[in-house]
Amino acid sequence: MRTRTSLLGLGFVSPALALLFAFFLMPVVLTTVFAFTNMSTATGITGGSHVITGNLLRDLGNAGIDNDVITALGEASFSVTSETLAAAADAGVEPRFLGEIEARLMGQNFEDARSFESALKSLPSRPTRIRELKLATEPFERSILNTRYASRADMEAAITSMAPDAPAETISTIAEASYTGWRWIDGGNFQTLLDRPETIRIVLNTVFYVAATLAFNVFVGLFLAITTFYLPKTGAGFFSVLWLLPRITPVVLYAVMWKWFTWDNGFLYVIAEQLGLPAFNYMKGSVPTAWATIILVNGFVGASFGMILFSGALRAIPIQQLWASEVDGASRWQQIRQIILPQLRWPILFVTSYQTLSLLSSYEQIWLTTNGGPGSTTTVWALEAFNTALNNYTGNLEYGMGAAMALILVAVGLVLSILYLRMFRFDELVNKPRIEF
Amino acid sequence: MQVTLKDFTKTFDDMTVIDKMNLTVEDGEMLALLGPSGCGKSTTLFAICGIHRINGGQILFGTRDVSNVPSQKRNVGVVFQNYALYPHLTVSENIAFPLSVRGDDKAKIEREVRAIAELTHIEELLARRPAQLSGGQQQRVALARALVRKPDVLLLDEPLANLDAKLRLEMRSEIRRIQLETGITAILVTHDQVEAMSMCDRIAIMNKGEILQIATPTDMYRAPVNKFVAGFLGNPPIVMLEGKASGDGRFIVNGGAGLPLPSRLANIPGDTPLSLGVRPEHFGAAGASQVSGTITFVEPQGRETLFDVTLADGVVLRSIQPAREDVALGHKVAWPLDAEKLLAFDATGQAV
Amino acid sequence: MTRNFSAWPIYALLGILSAPLAVMYLFLVIDTFTNAPPGSLIPNEFTFHHWRFLWDASVTGDVWGPTATTFLFATTMVVIVLAVSSTAGYAISRLNLPFRRFFLSGIMVMHAFPSVTLIIGVFLVLQFAGLYNTLIGVILVKASLMLPFGVWIMKGFYDQVPWEIEMAGVQDGASRFTVWRRLILPQVTPGLLSLGIFAFIDGWSEFMLPRILAPSANFQVLSTYLNVVSDPNSTTYNFNLFKSVGLFYTLPILVLFAVFQNRLMNIFGGGTKG
Repeated sequence: MRTRTSLLGLGFVSPALALLFAFFLMPVVLTTVFAFTNMSTATGITGGSHVITGNLLRDLGNAGIDNDVITALGEASFSVTSETLAAAADAGVEPRFLGEIEARLMGQNFEDARSFESALKSLPSRPTRIRELKLATEPFERSILNTRYASRADMEAAITSMAPDAPAETISTIAEASYTGWRWIDGGNFQTLLDRPETIRIVLNTVFYVAATLAFNVFVGLFLAITTFYLPKTGAGFFSVLWLLPRITPVVLYAVMWKWFTWDNGFLYVIAEQLGLPAFNYMKGSVPTAWATIILVNGFVGASFGMILFSGALRAIPIQQLWASEVDGASRWQQIRQIILPQLRWPILFVTSYQTLSLLSSYEQIWLTTNGGPGSTTTVWALEAFNTALNNYTGNLEYGMGAAMALILVAVGLVLSILYLRMFRFDELVNKPRIEF
Repeated sequence: MQVTLKDFTKTFDDMTVIDKMNLTVEDGEMLALLGPSGCGKSTTLFAICGIHRINGGQILFGTRDVSNVPSQKRNVGVVFQNYALYPHLTVSENIAFPLSVRGDDKAKIEREVRAIAELTHIEELLARRPAQLSGGQQQRVALARALVRKPDVLLLDEPLANLDAKLRLEMRSEIRRIQLETGITAILVTHDQVEAMSMCDRIAIMNKGEILQIATPTDMYRAPVNKFVAGFLGNPPIVMLEGKASGDGRFIVNGGAGLPLPSRLANIPGDTPLSLGVRPEHFGAAGASQVSGTITFVEPQGRETLFDVTLADGVVLRSIQPAREDVALGHKVAWPLDAEKLLAFDATGQAV
Repeated sequence: MTRNFSAWPIYALLGILSAPLAVMYLFLVIDTFTNAPPGSLIPNEFTFHHWRFLWDASVTGDVWGPTATTFLFATTMVVIVLAVSSTAGYAISRLNLPFRRFFLSGIMVMHAFPSVTLIIGVFLVLQFAGLYNTLIGVILVKASLMLPFGVWIMKGFYDQVPWEIEMAGVQDGASRFTVWRRLILPQVTPGLLSLGIFAFIDGWSEFMLPRILAPSANFQVLSTYLNVVSDPNSTTYNFNLFKSVGLFYTLPILVLFAVFQNRLMNIFGGGTKG
């Protein structure tokens, strides 16, 4: 027997499916696809057109393309067609003169400006002034140079018309080279990453950042959960609210507060000055203090996650167990180590694995505080991917390269999250619907 | 409305829990589906009301085949074990819900809710919310809601399981009264033999997805078809002795002495393996034979007293008698055994 | 709670560890109403001067426009998240769907999956869809990225509604939609409220998405506004002013947090975002 699909169910999930498809699945697909391209600001995103520029001609000449072809492509010609006539009308050429051009020269081609001008001079209503005549010739000029062709076929046709003798292979090579959009470069981005000396540095930074922040999060989270567990309600409440504040404080304000705390003339600066200690901009002034800052900035947000989960797990321990251990004469430390910690094994593992993943990919706080500095000493992988693709001050955003870097994180993220799903048996939370109609 | 199950089959994930079951509930009858947990009685109930799809066979209401009709169109009233009252609605809104879903007009809903509230004695509770009601009151509301749209069949899924002992007694007779007053066909699912016997016209006793016997409560108690039924009915339970027929109308307990067999079994050949069932009320009250032994356990229950009597060969018989204090632990007694009422079962457990 | 141990060593340890936070939040409030002499932290003057940005647009530019936009942004997103999560959550909790298991696993993977890594892909999607630099684009992205969390949370709330309520509704003749609408949805309103507040706070705080996906749009939300205002590299940086703007920006969140703290704790713990 097969239970019938609920139409209501399909209707109910389809909005979620549509949004998740558009903003989860498609981004993953696009990240994957464009990781293998050289897409950047220069190439555009939606695909390019075909243009032959002077630079390109020079490059082609150096690459061994027949010089005659290149010369031919570099030349301009003049032709009278309905299109060029329309262009001339738009440019404001006198209508009667235009009428004569159409009547007498329609369909003719002129190799250069001089022959076209002399043809125009033979017309009865030609302009008297030379400047006007020259202006009138311009709309009729057909040059392949710097003209955009939407498709490759158009470009090839244009090349053929300019250089009819060129072999098909050459035409194809030139048309290919004239493409301005992004191209497939296979594993080029990944090769570049491997070759770059900074890559290893960024990887090490990332490992250090994740490990240090994670250690802070888990230990402080545990410490907070256990200590607040032993405190009376008001005291415990005060500290848990204080530690929850960073979690709900908007990240921009949180960054401002840390800046005030560590900046020139900020809190630490003033204190250090009064104590005669070295006072400088701790956030950006030295590598160790910059690292300390970003670890604490993230740690103070992340610790409350552990605190919440561990506190929940602690409250689930039957209080009788603790009373019993006290009756048995256990000290507080023994109670924590032998009764409490063993029961927190799964929450600790969960927090560790969950935060590994989120720290690996997080860069918002780093971006808003040290921004990877000083130099690139605190730059982590996710921040570098983001900067490469979306936040580059030089203006040329390398989407393809950024996507390649992000793809590595996406792959790691997918593998780890599926692994956690298995490890914590979340799939067992699925129950069968009990109404079968 | 008569309810008929024809070759009803139900599987869960390739596991057949009920295989080709047949059952007819007569119009206006109250039938109990009695059995231990996991026997398939709730599955049967859910199939009848249309929550489960059936995998084979037919379900008929009267002559109408409802096997593939969704619950909404079966016109069945159900009282769930936990009553399933809608917590955010008042009692009267709860009862009115089936009618308002049907699109009845306000005046009619008002009238019907009043009438059913009167029947179930909850007129003064109509403005309250479920959380403000006692278990028994919730039960009445659930009953009212199930009955308000005049269903063809009323299904009760362990309706008394969540009540304390005193309320259970009260609601037992209340449910029966309401069923009789409305004349509705009702099916009661329960694991409690007392409920089944006290409330229902007939009992269908189930085990492992099979109906073992359908009979009136008294018939079933007196003449169970097999050992399981005999053991399931009766509190304190029947004592089963394993042994064989002696060939001269007696029964030899394994490794021990003999007991009389009912006279209808006088001709059973010797060495036939048998189980002999002795209900506590048939030992110690009246009967032709005397059995003597030592009292090894006494359990006073107020009106009655329960004794375990260990016979010379180690066999233990149980006896329930009107409260008495003239005998005590360790006393030797010789009590009558009503041999004619003993139950005997063959090696496969079937009654003989 | 067990009382056999003295509390003061714990207070001392906690105090030391929490000191930076306490200092930062304390001075966040103090500094907006006071001035301190240069080189000192102790205020010597009470003033409303730092709050004049509220009525004087020449200080940091108009603050009320971004406030309105932020409100619009957060509420629209909350509405989308609630509408889509409450329906999808119900479907995967209760209804017969093909690939239901697969869908739920997908939701959980997406939930654990760090969505910030998708920002480049999202940027490209918006470019192709023509929604780059638009408010609606950012709202859709923000709402979608919250969906796995929302659906997951709502599924959890639906799972806790007894099946019998649903069965009773069906027996009473109601369609599954009516059952959902009139019987089940009222049972999960606490869940909807918690999720809504959480989503509102999250949307109100959002900085990355508007900054990256609508960098040159003609609207500004308070996060990007504060980010532009509070540039300490500017020659005349003034943390008292930055903090005033920041506190103004955060006030609604603090109020919501104070009122709904217990509900939010459930969400923080149950939904594993961190």
